[in-house]
Amino acid sequence: MTFTDTLLLAFRNLRQSRLRTSLTTLGVAIGIASLAGMVSLGVGLQEQVVGRLTQSGVFDSITVTSGRANIPGLGGMGRGRAAGRGGQGGQGSTTPTTPAAPLDDAAVARFAALSHVRDAYPTLRIPMSYKYDGRTNAALAAGIPESSRGEGAFQSITHGTFFPDATGASVMLTLEMAQQLNADAPASLVGQTLELSYADSAPNAGGTPEFVAGVQVTRVSLPFTIVGIVERDPAPGANLGLSAVMIPLEQAKAINARAIANPQAFLQGAAPQTRRYTGVTVRVNSAANTQDVQDQIKAMGFTAFSLNDALQGAKRAFLLLDILLALVGSIALAVSSLGIVNTMVMSILERTREIGIMKAIGGSDRDVRGIFLVEAATIGLIGGVAGIVLGWGVGRLINIGANIYIERQGGTAGDLFSLPWWLILGAMAFALVVSLVAGSYPARRAARLDPIQALRHE
Amino acid sequence: MGGTIVKALDDLTLDVAEGEFVALVGTSGSGKSTLLNLIGGLDQPSAGSLEVRGRDLARMTRDELSLHRRNTVGMIFQSFNLVPSMTAVENIALSLMFAGVPRAERDQRASALLEAMGLGGRQRHRPKELSGGEQQRVAVARALANQPPLLLADEPTGNLDSRTSREIMDLIRTLNERDGKTIILVTHDAALASTYARRTVTLLDGHVISDTAAELERA
Repeated sequence: MTFTDTLLLAFRNLRQSRLRTSLTTLGVAIGIASLAGMVSLGVGLQEQVVGRLTQSGVFDSITVTSGRANIPGLGGMGRGRAAGRGGQGGQGSTTPTTPAAPLDDAAVARFAALSHVRDAYPTLRIPMSYKYDGRTNAALAAGIPESSRGEGAFQSITHGTFFPDATGASVMLTLEMAQQLNADAPASLVGQTLELSYADSAPNAGGTPEFVAGVQVTRVSLPFTIVGIVERDPAPGANLGLSAVMIPLEQAKAINARAIANPQAFLQGAAPQTRRYTGVTVRVNSAANTQDVQDQIKAMGFTAFSLNDALQGAKRAFLLLDILLALVGSIALAVSSLGIVNTMVMSILERTREIGIMKAIGGSDRDVRGIFLVEAATIGLIGGVAGIVLGWGVGRLINIGANIYIERQGGTAGDLFSLPWWLILGAMAFALVVSLVAGSYPARRAARLDPIQALRHE
Repeated sequence: MGGTIVKALDDLTLDVAEGEFVALVGTSGSGKSTLLNLIGGLDQPSAGSLEVRGRDLARMTRDELSLHRRNTVGMIFQSFNLVPSMTAVENIALSLMFAGVPRAERDQRASALLEAMGLGGRQRHRPKELSGGEQQRVAVARALANQPPLLLADEPTGNLDSRTSREIMDLIRTLNERDGKTIILVTHDAALASTYARRTVTLLDGHVISDTAAELERA
């Protein structure tokens, strides 16, 4: 018998018991819907978290410090040590093999010239004082590069906007900082002026004379306009670069060149132009290239580390979650596979005589088995398609409901469910395999029926 | 069943030549239907041998038996055994389907067979829309579909009135005399057997108790 004829007979049988076929198919659909829905939830959550982390710049950013000193407890340390050992035959692994390369503007330019590098900028944290409403306090001001616009913690700015331009005297505050300044209405700070001051190394810079470590310096005050207030993202690692007071990178660089960040360096008389940075942040265009760029920077004689390894760990954790969700989702599918077995056994019981006739006129075991397997597979495939549609629909509904709740709680709405093509194909294939497995026992039973007894069956 | 082994056939030897019309006669339980089922390849003997056209059915695999049923024998039953959900043409085409005949050809062949049975206008009718005699004609057409040399009929007139019975038996005789089909007919009706068959074998409790061919030889 040809395969087309097997299909013909199988479809004919399915049509004859429409109600039973559709109920069984619905059972499979619910099973597949629960399985696909669960995995879809796992994938959706992973995309939400990993996607947000990736956007935050945690995994595509490399922190470079000078020399090959080991920074305990951070990724990249092991590699750095291994490189040191390799060069020195295992002796004094913490001693740099090459003299520490200076981490200055030239080095930053070299990093920026590497392929896959999106941006390279010094990590600046300048001790400054701020004066607001008559009170003066100390804070670290961070230099924020233009490339951070719309990324990470700056994806959404709670009040106000990002810096209007890269060089202007504008400042952004964290919500906590804003609340310290004005507990009742932090939003009202936007547009107001915040006076920031730093200790200038030049004694005659035109500010108030002051003594730092016994050396006379000048405190220079600058008026900054508060443009934005940023809320910390509850997602872990999403707050890269966030600091209580944030000013444009160019402003920070200018101040850094003049300010006494490190009194000792100042005492040693380092000229502002050759001032070295304590750290440089290198942003890579994709997390996939992080390791590559990191290795290149190390080869230049710097210490570089990233949290790329942590991302791999997070992905592994989500894989486990996916498997767990899939197992829970499989319960319904297991139940519906019993439904297939039941339907097929019933159908064989009803059609025993027909099977006897088919065998008496020359149908082989294979022919009979084929017909029943195709019936089971058809139930599985139709159930699979219907299940994916059903799972998608229910997921959409839950997503709408959940997002209304999340937004009411002050969170950001997103897609909790994700249905990638591999999940659609995988669920279909799984439905097919499950139905074939479920159908194999009844089909075998039908194929082995004794024709004489089958013909006597009423 | 119940641990008791029932020997349906025992110490039985029978030769049937090609082109013969043999009737197997006996009371119920004599083993005549069992013998027919063995020849038809629906069952296999637990001991002994059964050769049809030089091949021992006792040694055949399940697949070989299904080929035997498909190509070598055609079976006609008392209860017609048509698939109730299929039309007359579809029932006949079903046996051609197992033989792998393409759709267009099997529909055409099935129609031609129905025509030959005098059922030209009944092609799209389902079994329950046909009379007993018409159903049995469809069954005969189905048995002939794969052109087997051997036709096995198990009480073919058991569910038919006397007039229709005669029509069916006439048809079977024609198949023997005109087309040279070997016929083995199982019946409990000795009169029917002697009217149509050229040789009657009588069975009792699994043994042959009389064979008209042997009597002829002795005479």
